[in-house]
Amino acid sequence: MIFREVEDRDLIAKARRGHVEAYNVLVSRWEKRVFNYLLRLVGEREDALDLSQDVFLKAYQNLKKLDDPAKFPGWLFRIAHNEAYSLLRKSKPEGEITVEPKMAESSGGLFPIESTLAVRSALERLSDDHREAVLLKIYQGFKFEEMAEILACPVSTVKSRLYTALDLLKQTLAPVNSGGAE
Amino acid sequence: MNCSTEVDLKAYIVDELARGERAAVEDHLRACPSCREELERLNLTRAALATLEEEEIPRRIAFVSDRVFEPRWWHTMWHSGPTMGFASAVVLAAAIVVHAAAPRPPAVQVSSGADATVVKELSELKAQRAADLAKFDQVLKATETRYEQQRQEDLATVQQAAEYYDKQFKRMEVASNEDYRQ
Repeated sequence: MIFREVEDRDLIAKARRGHVEAYNVLVSRWEKRVFNYLLRLVGEREDALDLSQDVFLKAYQNLKKLDDPAKFPGWLFRIAHNEAYSLLRKSKPEGEITVEPKMAESSGGLFPIESTLAVRSALERLSDDHREAVLLKIYQGFKFEEMAEILACPVSTVKSRLYTALDLLKQTLAPVNSGGAE
Repeated sequence: MNCSTEVDLKAYIVDELARGERAAVEDHLRACPSCREELERLNLTRAALATLEEEEIPRRIAFVSDRVFEPRWWHTMWHSGPTMGFASAVVLAAAIVVHAAAPRPPAVQVSSGADATVVKELSELKAQRAADLAKFDQVLKATETRYEQQRQEDLATVQQAAEYYDKQFKRMEVASNEDYRQ
């Protein structure tokens, strides 16, 4: 992990000096994570792909503004968050909670499809803010402080959103939980 | 959950507690069946969320080596024409300075009684020097002309490149937007 961070910093330094190949490597490392975060946030594959493209373009254009290369992941997801919310604000009235799931089709996996579908549906039923808190913490592994920077809000807000989301998911996924446990 | 003790189980399961806090929670869990049940439910929820795997990105993000990421026209121009032109100007200026600062032989006064041979040799030397200077001026002018031509050609190339990249950038931007909006 430490070596990987050093490598990322080195790539960022090279990309800042105009090494496009260094940025290519950086993109290839992060594109899957950014795409999946955006996919689960906006719910449409093509939108997520468009947004991913925009995110990496903006990141490249603004790379010199990144003060600390070690903060690249949070900085990149901050851009992704802004891009996603620009789209969400256009497509939904403020504060609206998605009820009907509109997730992209599954690519398959090792776990029962019912469980995967239930999780997707449960995530889709959360508000955008609650869902994003789960995505950043559970799926992307950011710390509360990093999430606060990405979302530009206090840590207390981050915790509140995540805890509410976990309570809602716990209720929604209860049948799945009990089924899986038995 | 019936326990009245304030235990942050959610922070515990998302690994946001310091070592001492974790130990305190674990001590409490050993003595509190209610919190153990709640922790079990949270862990099951987290396990259910983990069944949702990351999807592969459907197509690669356009890298910086692609045209949409190519450097702006002014960047290209800065790194081609002006650099060449500036180098040419420096060389030309250096040649002029060297020519102006070159030591000239002191004027020689020849008495009327001097030997005819000496006078003749002096005349020949003067003629030779005049010829050399004329030749130098000729070379200098030719060099100036050549550098000026080169500079004009460089500028023309740069302007063409600038127009090309400007057009290409706009075209790719429009094409990219249209492609993703489909």
